[in-house]
Amino acid sequence: MIEEPYRWVEAIANRREYIEAQLASGSPIAALGYRDGILFLTLGQTRQKIFEIYNRIAMGAIGHPGDIERLRMAAIELASTEGFTRSAADVSLRRLVHYSLSPVMKSAFEQVYGAPYLARMLFAEVGERPEEDLFLRVEYDGEIATSGATFAQARNDFAALSGTRQSRELMESFLQAEHAPDTGFEAALKSALDAWSVGQMALQTGDTKEMPVRTAVEKYRREQLANTGIEAGILERDPSRGIRYRALMDKELRALIHD
Amino acid sequence: MEPSLVRLDQNFAGTADDFPTLLRRKGLLGPAAIVDPISPVGGLHQRNWEPTEATTILAFKFSGGVLVAGDRRATSGNTVVYDRADKVLEIDRHSIMAIAGVPATAWEMARVLEHSFQYFRRTQLQEMSVDGKVRALSKLLRDNFGFVMQGVGMVVPIFATYDSHPKPEARLYFYDAMGAQFEVTDYAATGSGSPAVRGILYYENNWGAKPLQKLNEDEAVSIALRALDTAAESDTSTGGVDRSGKIYPLIKIVSQDGITTLAETKIAAVFKQTVA
Repeated sequence: MIEEPYRWVEAIANRREYIEAQLASGSPIAALGYRDGILFLTLGQTRQKIFEIYNRIAMGAIGHPGDIERLRMAAIELASTEGFTRSAADVSLRRLVHYSLSPVMKSAFEQVYGAPYLARMLFAEVGERPEEDLFLRVEYDGEIATSGATFAQARNDFAALSGTRQSRELMESFLQAEHAPDTGFEAALKSALDAWSVGQMALQTGDTKEMPVRTAVEKYRREQLANTGIEAGILERDPSRGIRYRALMDKELRALIHD
Repeated sequence: MEPSLVRLDQNFAGTADDFPTLLRRKGLLGPAAIVDPISPVGGLHQRNWEPTEATTILAFKFSGGVLVAGDRRATSGNTVVYDRADKVLEIDRHSIMAIAGVPATAWEMARVLEHSFQYFRRTQLQEMSVDGKVRALSKLLRDNFGFVMQGVGMVVPIFATYDSHPKPEARLYFYDAMGAQFEVTDYAATGSGSPAVRGILYYENNWGAKPLQKLNEDEAVSIALRALDTAAESDTSTGGVDRSGKIYPLIKIVSQDGITTLAETKIAAVFKQTVA
């Protein structure tokens, strides 16, 4: 089959369609930089989706649990051995993703007789200052999207991950409008919950590109919060600490939401 | 070129090795030393070459948790190599490893240990139990025992930590060079100055103004300083308190809230008031 170039392209296209369908129901994850760190947030309580990778690096992922687990373990293993042999300061998210994860995911995706990774990941690395925060989204085919400035857009201090492209783009434009990078934790928490709601609503209504109205988002958020748990973690900016990641309990977050 | 660290294992099985095993698989940590019963103990190697050694450390429980103190001297034979050595090392938010013995080996062990605990938490998504942590250090010592037999790399640590399960309490252990762990109720001391220190702590605990566990922080610091100064009086390898150079022992406290390193100014104040 793969001797013929056209068949290979077709196989890849099929595979892409299959993976997209598999990932389409993945509940969104929002990551927002704020004054004292980076917040990762999602709703749901079926299985954990936000993880600590190394001192300054965290990850959120949707996809098949087996694949997420393999990639997560690999990332921890790489970061830990690097941090051990050199120093924690030498562990960098950019290198981890560009030199290790992305090439492996790309080749797994393109070797059409093998299994691809059914996973989509969002990484963040907290910097000394908000401008130094780094967000990287890695797709199942090894494609990397960064929060950095390009010709087309300014640098973002947030990133989103969702089951479909429409849902993710809506979350991004919502955060673009609503989220200020130098804000406090409570404001970031509220933006993250609303961004999640926007993303989740888009997943449920299907092929929409319309931003829902504000009141609808707030109503939806309240309904969802009443039924399901919050999963969240922060990377603290505090330089006096080596390990910056901390998982946040549902209970401590509820106290900060004034609905 | 050294082997690339950034390589992904395509056949990853999903189960996590313990961290030293992972390091050995990647060739980043030497294999466990082989114990050779035929080679003479304290043979040629030791006579020709004296490894740098760190000395006296002590730890005891007091009303605010566990106090861990170490003098600052590192020696090699008769020579003082360094007078600001750090022998009281933080391993995680609630654990301290204090070392007597060869720092080259001990600091490497501390590094492995620190990464082991974090690696476990990150991969397994739960904190390693106190028993697991105590065992991890024991295993590192056991792996090192071949070097001890060859007369190099002897490490005799103290491990202090705060356990939240099942009931919150401070836990204190000392080890022998082969890796046996001994949990103590009140105090521990290792290193060349330890006989004097043990004498003082035993005396204070039984016939002092109050038992060690009832001391407040200032009283505890005072006793730690007196004990180290006494050890230094007869043991040349122990630095004690350097009055002319103003070098004080390093003191850390483990409590439920984590680890506090006492500021040198505070130690100096207690020293002036109650020791000097």
